[in-house]
Amino acid sequence: MKKITSNARRDRAYLSTLGTTQIYLRSPHIVAWWSAAFPGFGHILMSKYIRGLSLFLWEVVINMNAKLNSAMVYSFTGRFEAAKDVLNTRWILLYIPVYLFAIWDSHRTTVDLNKLYLLADHENANIANFKIQTLEINYLDKREPLVAVMWSLLMPGLGQLYIHRVISAFFVLVWWVVLTYFSHFLQALQLIVLGDFHQATVIMDPQWLMFMPSVYGFAAYDTYVNTVANNKLYKNEQRGFLRRTYQNSNFLLPQGKK
Amino acid sequence: MYIFATFDHSTYLELALAAMEENGIHREKILAVPINRRNPKKRLFDTIHSSDGVSLLDSGMALATAFSVIGASYGFVLKWGPIIWGLVGAVAGASIGILGSLILYWRKHSKEKRIGKKATEVIIIIDCQPEQRAMVEDTLWDYLAYGVGKLDT
Repeated sequence: MKKITSNARRDRAYLSTLGTTQIYLRSPHIVAWWSAAFPGFGHILMSKYIRGLSLFLWEVVINMNAKLNSAMVYSFTGRFEAAKDVLNTRWILLYIPVYLFAIWDSHRTTVDLNKLYLLADHENANIANFKIQTLEINYLDKREPLVAVMWSLLMPGLGQLYIHRVISAFFVLVWWVVLTYFSHFLQALQLIVLGDFHQATVIMDPQWLMFMPSVYGFAAYDTYVNTVANNKLYKNEQRGFLRRTYQNSNFLLPQGKK
Repeated sequence: MYIFATFDHSTYLELALAAMEENGIHREKILAVPINRRNPKKRLFDTIHSSDGVSLLDSGMALATAFSVIGASYGFVLKWGPIIWGLVGAVAGASIGILGSLILYWRKHSKEKRIGKKATEVIIIIDCQPEQRAMVEDTLWDYLAYGVGKLDT
């Protein structure tokens, strides 16, 4: 029987009280796409939190100062002069290199991790499936992907809490509140319910509002793929356990009586 | 005699095994065989393995986000405003993406591969005495076995 503490050359997964981090085969294009939607998201999808959160903060700071979101709204609606006026030239050129880096780096990392996953899968090291410590308990389990998505759609961040991705849950919850507040989103929603479309449009701040679709979509996607991935990891771990424990060489295979 | 059962991977399965051990079935008298599902070979890059079935949602979510940003932008000059147009964009993008992937999925995956989805995941065989049969079968059913069968020897 192999030891459960990992001496593996490459582990497929790591359980901590803050969540389950794992590598599995992902499409580099989709990861790159999420980096393009919002720098940092591609990395957070892969649980590369420090890179992801740094790039996210970078995006918010530079975009807010350069007024890129506002310029996007003006450009999409054909008001090109207004777009030129609103952009802050002290900041905007800082944006381009890091934006492209985030996309490129997340694509490159996905390709690398896919290769490493194939090797880790071949090595098939045992995975710890249960972690209990002072502040939290984390364990592999099957969860329902659609339930995760439903909670995420009701309030971004709750889907991550459901599958115990505590870091991204905290991150998404906090930022969703910040974006909702500064964009005046909920005030506008109330005005729409009351039928006042004009006032709803005027009250919103496009510079903050334009961050929101990406965060909302990302939260739902991240929670869905990681629920599915956690379920697969759970199965994988249980298969290993059954093979180690319930395949004794003394078991006599049955013979029919006829 | 032998009792056979089929299971899904779940914590119930381990509870069933533990319960039988507590009721006197020795661990060596239980055989568990995890079943491989019918699976295409693992390939790098853009496969359904990017995590089971997810590719259905992949392009849907990506397009929803893109269309939502564009819709919300136009919303600032259209009558209904950015929220409604943003939502319209999101729903339109998601529908196009998911529908497109579904069509591709159904085309690409023959009936054979779809059958793989329904397959049982674990086979359990228990070597027990005839008087233990009732306890074993009850335990298996209690912990949600797909099916239970017996073989007299």
